[in-house]
Amino acid sequence: MIKWIKIALRNILKNKRRSFVTLIAIAMGFAAVSLFQGYIHNTYEGLRQSAVRGEGLGHLTIYKQGWLEKGKIDPDKYMFSQEELKRISDLVEEDEDVILATPQINISGLVSNGRTSTIFLANGVIPRDDKTIKGAWAAFRPVKGEGLSEKKPYGVEMGEDLASHLDLKPGGYGVIMATTLDGQMNALDIEVAGIYDTGSSATNDKYMRVPFGFAQSLYDTEKADRVVVLLNDWKKTEATRERLEDTLSGVGIVCEIKTWNELSLFYLKVRGMFDMIFMFIFFIVFIIVIMSVVNTMGMAVLERTREIGTLRALGLKRRGVSLLFAVEGAMLGFLGTVFGIVLNVIVWAVIRAAGPTYIPPGSSSPVPLIVNLVPQSMFFLMLFLILLSLMAAILPARRAARQNVVDALGHV
Amino acid sequence: MELIEMEEIKKDYFLGETVVHALRGVDLTIDKGEFVAIWGPSGSGKTTLLNLIGTIDEASSGQLFIKGEEVKKLSDDRRTEFRNRSIGFIFQGFNLIPVLSALENVMLPLEIMGTSFSNTRKTALKRLDEVGLSDFVKHLPDKLSGGQRQRVAIARALVTNPSLVIADEPTANLDSETSHKIIELMRDLNEKEETTFIFSTHDQRLLDQVERLVRLEDGRILNGGSEK
Repeated sequence: MIKWIKIALRNILKNKRRSFVTLIAIAMGFAAVSLFQGYIHNTYEGLRQSAVRGEGLGHLTIYKQGWLEKGKIDPDKYMFSQEELKRISDLVEEDEDVILATPQINISGLVSNGRTSTIFLANGVIPRDDKTIKGAWAAFRPVKGEGLSEKKPYGVEMGEDLASHLDLKPGGYGVIMATTLDGQMNALDIEVAGIYDTGSSATNDKYMRVPFGFAQSLYDTEKADRVVVLLNDWKKTEATRERLEDTLSGVGIVCEIKTWNELSLFYLKVRGMFDMIFMFIFFIVFIIVIMSVVNTMGMAVLERTREIGTLRALGLKRRGVSLLFAVEGAMLGFLGTVFGIVLNVIVWAVIRAAGPTYIPPGSSSPVPLIVNLVPQSMFFLMLFLILLSLMAAILPARRAARQNVVDALGHV
Repeated sequence: MELIEMEEIKKDYFLGETVVHALRGVDLTIDKGEFVAIWGPSGSGKTTLLNLIGTIDEASSGQLFIKGEEVKKLSDDRRTEFRNRSIGFIFQGFNLIPVLSALENVMLPLEIMGTSFSNTRKTALKRLDEVGLSDFVKHLPDKLSGGQRQRVAIARALVTNPSLVIADEPTANLDSETSHKIIELMRDLNEKEETTFIFSTHDQRLLDQVERLVRLEDGRILNGGSEK
């Protein structure tokens, strides 16, 4: 085998210009796919953090069975009572991978500054638990002002554009109105404790975060529509869901548990779009690599027809000839991907040093362009391209191996 | 002892709709240890005959036995193995692998056979020494003269200790002094190791050295294959 690798390598070096063009094609293809993969890896990571911590979805959300389908029609029926909330929280927090289980309630209605009013959507959260869920993410989208606090039960955090429409600043006052679960109109005073950027222009003029008790007061209820669960590792999401489903159904709590990615529509859509773009780029690279290797190996077979005849005459079997060219193809793939890794690291370092930013569609503020180096993905991509080059070389190699020995020897 | 036996061998080529009868029924027997020249004008079928004996081509009809085995009945893999173990080739154009050194070229048939690296290297060095190229083992073919290349080709043909060496015009591309040395070398190996040599040639100096001359003309053996 070493002999064939040696011959393959020397033939690659012998035809420097042609090999160089093929290696560049493979290297560029590798770098393009790998960089894009690094970019979407970072984007998925950011979107995951945004969903889990930014949107406050946690890793798992527990609803009463039927809430997602019929909760809007008859909310009172499909909300958890205080007793149920306590039982669920106690059981869930017993799980070794759970950091926190906290009740939340969504409310909506009108918010007014006394002169003008507009609609709002708000999430009723326990301030202390909300801080735990946000974690380090809070520094990425900081709240201007004091923020939610147990000390100020009527203090709310307001989306930047919503505050701007209502001309409210931290410390300003307003009123929110909504119908209670019984259908009565209710209104409560609020103080703007903080203003924050939701990250999306679609929600920045509607969203608020309010203390959990305050939201319950507005709806005149002691219930909550869900329990949000934060885990110590997002990779354990699916396994923990299965475990919690078993635990809760085992004690007769009829519920359904959704994961953060099932609930974050934005994450799903962006992921779907990026996956499609990735497949498109990958397909183009796939074609370029195949065409380059087939062309190079086709030329090599043509030029080395007499050599093939000689090797066959000396006793090399047909599969030996195929192997020889397949090794050469694999070697091209290997060297090409090694150059690709170098190119990838250079571009990665340049991006890291330059620190460019961009505003994604629907986003309210610029985000840094970050490309991750993902060694595992690079390794698998490398293996795939080597295999692809090997397969692409097999086509002309098989043709070479099938040649009549006398015809091959007589080739000029 | 018969090494090669040919019975009514015919070989036709098709050039478009034209049929070229390269061999028109050849009967020939060659014994182990013979030093045989196939001689005849261009187009007489010399190379075709050597290709058939070398098992790199197939007869249109007739029977060919080498070491008692009927070549036609062997699969491509078996025939290739047979070639590797029993036949050495010396080509007119040397046909050395350009990216391999003289030593690596000579090692090649043994490596194909699967012999261990140390044995392969030792045997190849010995053969290169025998053909007087021990100082050129690391040279690539394009750094060697025509005569040196032909000697590498001879060393390569002999490295597996084949029973048969086939040489197609082995002195055609060489000057007279080098030709003389190559002829002496082949004759010497034939006498010392009882290796059978069959070659096609027009070279009178080579023809003077042979024990037996097979004269071909128009695809037929004229002299019954036993002239000298």
